[in-house]
Parts: sequence; C-alpha cells; structure tokens
Amino acid sequence: MLATRLAEHRAPAASIDVDRLQRDRHARLQAQLERQGIELAVLLHGPNVGYATSLPTRAVDVTHAVYERPVAVVVAGEDQPHLFWDDAGAHPAVLQHPAVWPELDEGAALLGGEMVELAGGLAGRRVAVDVQTGAMLRAGVFAEAGLVDGSQLVAGAKIVKTPDELACIAEAQRRNEVAMEAVQRAAQPGVTRSELAGVFLARLADLGVEASMIDPIFQPMPRSVGDGPRTTTGSVAFPTGVGNPTFAAGDVVWVDAGIDHLGYASDFGRTWIVGRDPNRAERRLFEQWCEVMVRVLDVLAPGVTGGELVRAATAAGAAVPPGTSRPWLPHFYLAHGVGVESAEMPLLGTDLGPEFDDGMVMAPGMVLVLEPVTWEEGASGYRAEEIVAVTDDGWCHLGGGHGYEPFAA
Amino acid sequence: MTTDAETPTAAPAELRAARRGRVFDAMAEAALDALVLSRRDFVAYASGASGLWTGGTRPFGAACVLLADTRAVHLLSTWDEGVPPEIPFEHLYGVTWNPAVMGRALGAIPGFGTARRIGVDGLSVGFEKAARRLAPNAELVPADDLLQAVRAVKLPAEVDRIRAAVAVAAAAVDTAAGALADGAAPEEALAAALRGVAAAGVTVPASAPVVAPADPSGSLVHVDFGLLVDGYEGGVGRTVARSGAGVGADAGAGGAVAGAADAQHRLVEACRPGAAASDLRAAAGGASAWRVRGNGLGFEPPVVTGSLGEGTTLVDGMVLSVEVQVGSARRRDVVAVAAEPRSFSPPLPE
Repeated sequence: MLATRLAEHRAPAASIDVDRLQRDRHARLQAQLERQGIELAVLLHGPNVGYATSLPTRAVDVTHAVYERPVAVVVAGEDQPHLFWDDAGAHPAVLQHPAVWPELDEGAALLGGEMVELAGGLAGRRVAVDVQTGAMLRAGVFAEAGLVDGSQLVAGAKIVKTPDELACIAEAQRRNEVAMEAVQRAAQPGVTRSELAGVFLARLADLGVEASMIDPIFQPMPRSVGDGPRTTTGSVAFPTGVGNPTFAAGDVVWVDAGIDHLGYASDFGRTWIVGRDPNRAERRLFEQWCEVMVRVLDVLAPGVTGGELVRAATAAGAAVPPGTSRPWLPHFYLAHGVGVESAEMPLLGTDLGPEFDDGMVMAPGMVLVLEPVTWEEGASGYRAEEIVAVTDDGWCHLGGGHGYEPFAA
Repeated sequence: MTTDAETPTAAPAELRAARRGRVFDAMAEAALDALVLSRRDFVAYASGASGLWTGGTRPFGAACVLLADTRAVHLLSTWDEGVPPEIPFEHLYGVTWNPAVMGRALGAIPGFGTARRIGVDGLSVGFEKAARRLAPNAELVPADDLLQAVRAVKLPAEVDRIRAAVAVAAAAVDTAAGALADGAAPEEALAAALRGVAAAGVTVPASAPVVAPADPSGSLVHVDFGLLVDGYEGGVGRTVARSGAGVGADAGAGGAVAGAADAQHRLVEACRPGAAASDLRAAAGGASAWRVRGNGLGFEPPVVTGSLGEGTTLVDGMVLSVEVQVGSARRRDVVAVAAEPRSFSPPLPE
C-alpha cells in the first residue's frame, strides 16, 4: 500500500535548467542578504559554495577539500557571485578569480586583500562567513568586521527548493537506486561489507556518477541493543562506519548511501535480509514501518507543522527502539531535508524539541527524507528512507521508486 | 575504517599513544589549556577514533576536546564503536542538533569552563559565541598550525602505514592500467580498480579517482588513485597507454610519458633535508605543472608550487606527495624526505 501511494505521487522525471538554477539561487541569496542586512557573504563550506556558484562538491577527503577549497563571495546588490577557484567547470554566470588557498597563511592574507578589492574595507561592516580557517584568524581577515553566521544565511535561502533543485534531488535518487540493484543481488552469505561497497562504487563508475559522498553503509544490526555497541542514548548504534564484517545468512543489514547529482544529494535507505526471506517478526516490523510512513503522508501538506507530522508518526503505534518513545533513532530524526547537504533543514523530531517542531510549518518546495525506524528487542529493526517534497496541495515522491525486497516488491 | 590491508608493524595502541603524546606536548608548549578539534584528520590524530567517512567539508563543530591538565580526551560520539579503549565511555558526548545540548555537554567537561587559552582548528560564528559563554575567561587561539607542525615529521609507524596505503593505491593503478591495456573503456577500468581495492577492504578515497583520457586521441589515459587506508593516504598516479594505441606508435605521447618520469625523478631526488622551495622549483624546471605537498592523514602542508610555499624547508622524516605533468603525461608518487629519497611506489609496468 505504501509503494502504491508513493507511485501515485511520484514526480515525473523533469529536465534541469542549470542556468535558471544558478539564477534562482543567486536571487534567493540576495534576498537573504537584504533581509538580514548583510553586505557581504564569504562562503568556504563546500555545499554553501555549491549553492552560491553551481560548483559541485567534490567527493574527496576533507583534507583535500579544505586545502584545495574553492571560496565563494556574494556581494549584496551584485548580479553575479564571485568564485575563487583555478579549475574549469565554473558556471558562466560566475565571476571566476584565481584560487586563494585560505588554509595556508600566505593564502589567507591573499583572501583578505581580495575581499577589500571586491567590497572595500571590512571594518564595522556586517559580513557573513560560514567558517574561518586558522590562517584566516591569524591574518585577522575579518578582525574588524561584524560577523554573522554564513551557514544561517544559506539555510534561509535554501530551505524551500526551486523546481530545478527538486529535479536534481530526484535524479540523484534515481541513479542511487539503480546502482543499488546490483549491490542487493551481491548481498549473499560470505560477502564482506567492503565487497558490497566495491560493487556499488563500480556500478557508479559504470553509470558515470563521480560523487559518492559517504562510505556506503551496509551494517549488520544486532538483534537486541545490548548485543551492539554501547550508546549515550541507550538506543541503537547506527551508522557506525567502522569495521568490515562478513555477512552471514539471516543477517539484518541496514543500508545507507548518498551520491550527488549537480551538487544535490540523494539518500538511499533500506533494510536487507541476507540469504533468506524475512521471518514473522521482521515482516511485522516492516508492516509497522509502512504504517508510520502512511500516517505521516496522510497528513503532509502545506501549512501542516512538523509537530503534527511527528505526532502522526508516533500515533501509528509501532514498536520503537529502546531509549525513546517514538519510531525513529533518538540521536536522529523522523525526517530531515536534503539538498546541497545530505541533511539540512527542515529537521523534524530531533532533540531541538516539540516547540521547534511545532514552529516548522511545511511550505511547497520543502523536502523531507522520511526515515522512521521500528524495532523489537530480540528481533532487530526495520529502517528505510523515502524522499518527498511538499507541493501546493500535498506532496510528491522524488526518485524512481525502489522496491522493499525481500519484504515486498 | 579498519581494513584487511597488509598489517603495518607498530601496534595501533602504541601509535595512538605516541600521536596523543605529541599533541599534549605541543599544547603544553603553546600554553593551551584546552584544544577543540573539528576536522576528521585532526580528531583521528589526537584521539585515534575512527568513524563514518563522508566526502568534502563539514561545518565546524566541537568533535573532540582535549584538556591539558588531565590529558583527557573527550569525543563527540553516540557510541563506543570505533572509539579506542583509552577513552572512557564517560568521555563521550552524543550527536545533537541542539546548540543548548552541545553547550551543556561542553560545559560539563572538567576544566573547559575555567580554561584561559583554548586552541581551535577553525572557527564558526556560532562556536565562538558558545565558547565565550561557556569559558568566559578564555582566549580562542588558532592551533591548526601547531598540529600540522606536530604531524609534519612522521613517526616510523606512520611511515609504515603510508607505505601500506601506497601499495593499495599502486594496486589500483595496476588494475586500471591492465584493464586499459586489455581494451577496457576508462569507466570500465575505473570500476575494475575500485572493485579490486574494495575487495582488499579499502572503500574511501583521499583524492578523486581518475581514469580519464589524457589527450584528444585517447591514446594516453591518466590513472591516479589516492586512497585512505586506516586513515593514511596512499597515492600513485601514472599516464598509461590504451590498447591498440601503443605509446611507441606516437613519439609525442611516448616522449611525454618519459619526460614525466624524468621530471618526477629529479623532483624526488630534490626531496632532501634542508631543501628549500627554490630547490624544488629548480628541480621541477622541465615540468609543465607540478606540486609537492605533505602526505599523511590525507593532504597536509607544506604545499610547494611555482607560487606557493616560499619559506618552506624540508626536514628529515617528512612524507611528501610529488606530482608532475609534462605535456600530456602525469605522475604522482609518495616519498619520504631523506638523504637518499626514494619513492614508496612499487615498480609498475611503464
């Protein structure tokens, strides 16, 4: 029934206009600059740079990402953003300058000079910056400026997606789903986690996908929380990203992976059973998980609050993990947004609390990755993820539609 | 993540203790009462903890807090998996989305609130505000340079691990080059190499893997793998011939490959103790593009190019990634700075 609901609401594959995408995002950043009274935004965090300039985040280690980092600068009132970056691939609507290497002392000094060149002296000016490197602090690049949080600026711009952004997320999810088909066939007794990751990465290479943004997770779950790692929440430890287990028949494996398409993230989540069909308890947990999803989707529409969605999920009466009274992992959420970040606002059901959830009002263009979890001690749990977007009169499903084998086609 | 790759010599616990000791010694020297780390590599170096790898930058956050007085390590982790046994469970604070919860967790760390000097590896506006409230008497001091200085000269056990990582990267290059020689398309060769290293337990890149045409004719292909193995980067890059388009048939292409090998040899030979940026620049004379940079828990300083790294002096025990391009041919090798510098790359078919 859930699969049918999702299929009925699936957004058709849409073309992506990368020029309009760049234009729309720049307009939203400019609107935020004006609303927040900010004269200059200096962005160093990869997804923020991508949002401002269309330069996709590279799937490299953080050490490469920071030393070789591109820097985006958005000046209030200007038609085009600036990008400090040497390589090709910048969007033509972006003003490209040589890379500045702000992780190095010599580069930070250079960055300071470039800012003055672009915007004049910074003393007393209201400047948004998302992160400062040690070298920037030593060079005093923003020592005289009135700093505000650049990530909050971008967060305000990006919480409601444009149609092109939704199409990017949907395409990323479709590709991720396609790559996972071969992986699930390979998930047999005797295979290791890293071998499955290898199948996934090789399939991405075949499909021409360059950006696997997370070490793919294939985590065999304990039957009871006490059999797993000790946690600060007393609940389920996931995703640990540690070790290279060999799968045995009957293992309950939680799967999670994410790729980027044009800088937008997918989020694939499923539960697989290795080498056999699910038993009765496992099927029951899957059915309950579906019920939670349906209850949330029944309510989801513009104007509905996060609190209402959280209460709808909880009212489904599903068996929940230890350490919580709600059907999701207590260190995570019922739902998170996705976009240039794999998890961004709106976050629903977090430890930000009920007031926060009640204040988060759904609006057309918001995206939710729903990831409830059902759990029975002794039987383990079911977890999967689906991406939906709020529409003018309800919601639509993003992605190609991926079955729930071995629980349901 | 933990891998099945060739087991390096020193026991992990000894390496962790040695790295941690170096960090606390450096904190003492810089009179830091506390150190707040955000970046994966800094956290791994100081704490020995491993966790889920994600690509690209992460927003600044207090992922690890070290206290000078007690030499205690506190870690942002909801579970004890991947946390070394010397960090007690009570020193873990869980993932939170709520700045107030994070503030309480940091405030509860003994010695944080009374710290006078707190080192940071970066800074966000939000964390700066929180730190001023939680540790009102503290001065925030950038400490990334201090930590990079500690990391620059590698411990012998680190060199062993980097050597093991280079062996995995070389195997990836070998697999891809073999597939290309058998007529595979670049994306097929890339897939084969990624499957091969994954079978050995390695699934995390340092740099973006490259199997891509090097020239319009497609007779040459760049193959470059930088992989993280137990947190340490191993990198090898070559430009190789595709099947049916032998380098010998194309004097220009063959010349570029030989030229890159020669330029690389000269640059590797220059990686001796006492060498300055000017020495590396002189050695790189014939290269159309080149870079020498630190190689450890990923990309590290120093970074020396034609325009960066003035004032750099190489010292014994540094490990460097040496990268050159001559015409349409590239090469990357990892080398330890020594009186007789040698590439860590095993022999590969040219």
